[in-house]
Amino acid sequence: MAVIELKNINKYFGSGTSKVHVLSDVNFTAERGQLILVVGPSGSGKSTFLTIAGGLQTPSSGNVIIEDQAVDQFSKKQRDELRLNHVGFVLQAYSLVPYLKVREQLELVTKVKPKGNLDDRELKELLNQLGIDDLVNKYPSQLSGGQTQRVAIARALYANPEIVLADEPTAALDSARVIVVGKLLKELAKTRNKAVVVVTHDARLTEFADMTYEIMDGKLYLKDLAPVDK
Amino acid sequence: MYLALKEIRHEKLRYSLIVAMIVMITYLIFILSGLATGLANENTQAIDSWHAKSIVLDRDANVNLSQSTITNEQVNGAQLTKSQALIGQSPVVVKQNNRKKESAQFVGLKGAQYIAKDLVISSGRKAQNNHELVADQQFKMDGYRLGNQVKFNSSSTQYTIVGFTKNAKLNVAPVVYGSLKTWQTLRNLPSGNLAGSAIVSKTAKFSGRDKGLKTYSNSYFISKLPGYSAQNTTFGFMIGFLMVISLVIIAVFLYILTIQALPMYAILRAQGIPAARLVRTILSQSLILMACGIVIGAILTAITAKLIPFGAPIFFNVPMLSAMAVGLLLMGIIGAAIPARKIATVDPVQVIGG
Ligand SMILES: Nc1ncnc2c1ncn2[C@@H]1O[C@H](COP(=O)(O)OP(=O)(O)OP(=O)(O)O)[C@@H](O)[C@H]1O
Ligand SMILES: [Mg+2]
Repeated sequence: MAVIELKNINKYFGSGTSKVHVLSDVNFTAERGQLILVVGPSGSGKSTFLTIAGGLQTPSSGNVIIEDQAVDQFSKKQRDELRLNHVGFVLQAYSLVPYLKVREQLELVTKVKPKGNLDDRELKELLNQLGIDDLVNKYPSQLSGGQTQRVAIARALYANPEIVLADEPTAALDSARVIVVGKLLKELAKTRNKAVVVVTHDARLTEFADMTYEIMDGKLYLKDLAPVDK
Repeated sequence: MYLALKEIRHEKLRYSLIVAMIVMITYLIFILSGLATGLANENTQAIDSWHAKSIVLDRDANVNLSQSTITNEQVNGAQLTKSQALIGQSPVVVKQNNRKKESAQFVGLKGAQYIAKDLVISSGRKAQNNHELVADQQFKMDGYRLGNQVKFNSSSTQYTIVGFTKNAKLNVAPVVYGSLKTWQTLRNLPSGNLAGSAIVSKTAKFSGRDKGLKTYSNSYFISKLPGYSAQNTTFGFMIGFLMVISLVIIAVFLYILTIQALPMYAILRAQGIPAARLVRTILSQSLILMACGIVIGAILTAITAKLIPFGAPIFFNVPMLSAMAVGLLLMGIIGAAIPARKIATVDPVQVIGG
């Protein structure tokens, strides 16, 4: 069953002569149990695509349906609520609060959303898998780029969202870690029945994906370059 | 609150600097208002101790006690009761052989009238003849003793201090109470027909029944004391400006900090943390900073109050200072409003980019 459905999405930035058409007639579905990869060159609209799919920004036209709800009709507040409870974002940059220790980054999730998060045992296992269980008392400034990225992944997964949207989650990771994260995301989709969408230009992740799309000139293609039909 | 406290704890230096500035402003505000109240008190203490509701002055004296004179006929015509008293006021320099000169306000009283009768003596006794005086406590503080002989201005007549009284200040100078006879000599009015400077009344509706006299309410009379209103306005302005400065400081600092932290707020917004919660964070931060500043400022003020040399005209009116503290907190809330707006309207996508 589709948890994310994008129908005929168009997104423009700017106006007049500087108007850019970033996404054109994008159709996309993601289902539970799937790990979907979206690849494309820098500036092709991957982040734009992902933030629209997660209700973080609205398309210029088209429909965004998340868990059978027309998100493009949502108020700001409703979209906050959707992201808080149903969508886990792993963002490309600046993903942690600078003055909170790793442990407190997770604590903050509990403060804002007391229910439905991972229990202690599951959290421990997650931190263990990501290899960051001994970093819980460190501040972001004391972490390396890759560690930061893994903490950001842990933070998003801790809230136990049905939908996980990750923007370049492996950019700063070495090959061994990429395999760990790839496995983790795949396992998340399979055993926990979540919809996982990853945008990246990291080819090392393709082997874990159920499906790989490519964004080119604002259009979304299945990797064999055939335009995606509804 | 969680985020607010965590951030303050993590960025100790930054926030200590802001608090330090608020401490200084609070301290300045408290000390200034202490001085303002203290000086205002020293202007009016004596008048307050008379429990006056109205004051009758020479109509042409421009509501100035020193300029006012009342004749014997006018006093007779006014028909004083036991709620009125005639006073004769004159600035004097008090001299004693080996002590420093002291500027004072001489107030001549009639022993049979209420001000002299009700005068509270803290040590010694009341004056019983024209050569005896009751002086403000300030003289005692400055080394004068009961039984000391003093002279006024350049005259050679000797007077004896026979008593001290508390809270007798007029126009920021200590009062010396004596007789109206002495007042006449001080004013060089050779047994003429001038009786005194003013009639003080405990009742509001007292009339001098004379075209040459006019009755003023006590509050109006006080507001016209030389320098009194100007002084209060000056202090009021200074305190007001300090309030505004504190507002600007908190607003500017919080604004800069917010702008720096905007990507972080964007992240939190992207995670779906409601804007209202983040706005609460910045508001509570502002209130915490203000409260810390005010508390430390108040402690410093209390220490200063203990250390300040006796006799400095400073008086801490706790309800008034509390009101100012509340005012400062309010400035904190207003100061946080602009950064709060910035946070409420941050667009995660714009800031995070991608
Ligand atoms: N808010 C915006 N205003 C104007 N143009 C924008 C805005 N956001 C994105 N763009 C433009 O849209 C295009 C796609 O941006 P996007 O961030 O989606 O690319 P991307 O595929 O994520 O790139 P990268 O791999 O470098 O992260 C870019 O040309 C970018 O300049
Ligand atoms: Mg991007």
